Amino acid sequence: MTRTAIVRLIAATPLIALLGACSGEATEDAGPEEGPAAGGEPPAEIAQRQDNYEAIGDSFKTIREQLEGEAPDMAAIQTAAADINTRLQRIPDLFPEGTSMEAGYDTEALAAIWEDPDGFAEATQNAIAASEEMMAAAATGDAAAVGEQVGNLGLNGCKACHDKFRVDDD
Amino acid sequence: MATKTEAVSIWDLPVRVTHWSLAVLVPIMWITAENSLWYWHTRTGHVVLALLIFRVIWGFVGTDTARFASFVRGPARVLAYLRGDYDAKREVGHNPLGALAVIAMLSVIAAQVGMGLFAGDPYDGATGPLNALVGVGTADWITDTHEWFVYVVFGMIALHLTAIAIYVGVRRQKLVGPMVVGKGEVAAGVEGNSRASLGRFLGAAVVAVGVAVWVWFGAWPLG
Repeated sequence: MTRTAIVRLIAATPLIALLGACSGEATEDAGPEEGPAAGGEPPAEIAQRQDNYEAIGDSFKTIREQLEGEAPDMAAIQTAAADINTRLQRIPDLFPEGTSMEAGYDTEALAAIWEDPDGFAEATQNAIAASEEMMAAAATGDAAAVGEQVGNLGLNGCKACHDKFRVDDD
Repeated sequence: MATKTEAVSIWDLPVRVTHWSLAVLVPIMWITAENSLWYWHTRTGHVVLALLIFRVIWGFVGTDTARFASFVRGPARVLAYLRGDYDAKREVGHNPLGALAVIAMLSVIAAQVGMGLFAGDPYDGATGPLNALVGVGTADWITDTHEWFVYVVFGMIALHLTAIAIYVGVRRQKLVGPMVVGKGEVAAGVEGNSRASLGRFLGAAVVAVGVAVWVWFGAWPLG
């Protein structure tokens, strides 16, 4: 368990206090003791990268949902694949030094990102490369080929990076 | 006016263990989720699942005060209770209003655990064991709902604690003690709870754990 986790666990133990406040968000952004952001706003990049990943996830789900149907909408798949590619390329700008979970921020980004910058850059490049292959498959209009690229991008792009650089202990 | 009272058994051991296990594990479910401890969240979730299944089976084969048929009452009895037509010293078990709360609490937790079984995304962290049984869009919707539905669970717990505070503080009923030790004071001559059958307990426990393990491994042949 990480230090933040323990701090939060202790902070969260009086569930009754939380229930009194009747809003889980209260503990989420409560403590002035939580992180160096005390008194100030956390770096904007944290929210920006979270929104960016959220949008990547949405586009990826759009593609997978289309493939589940009888007649996948290739235009929608192409748009989503291009969106994923564009957003993946923004990643290097969204991780300023010192914005890890270990630094006390409300993020799942591990300090390993900055301890192993080459590894993180490589993982990002792998994801971008996979998204390009996805775009190429989508351009052919072949649903089976797109399906193969879902596995490639999902496992070698998203998951490979999450396993190393994001809190993820399943 | 001092009514002569005596201690009789009210809640059987399985009911108490199930109750306090949920009281500990439900907050743990929330804490593990808040801290992305998915290894523990998914495993603890299956323990909660087993407890819920056990409690439902026990609601049919357990002791008198554990059985749904003995405490779930129609609207007439609930209204009569609300009008004050009820003597807590002469009744053992859930009152007609509390019975509704029991059903609501179990339903809300069951809904939350049920959603968790389908939640997640295989390319984006942990998933429930039944995630692959539904489409990507459905799983996404379930995951979002699972995230905010915890506040419904909290609301139910808040209602539960508030009710206890009122009964204990205002109506001077001893509710917590019997849920811990099993016995409570009732008017002399009022009969206590029936005895738990070890065989039925073991049967219910085996089924509950068996189903939870079966779900954990993907609910073959469904999965």
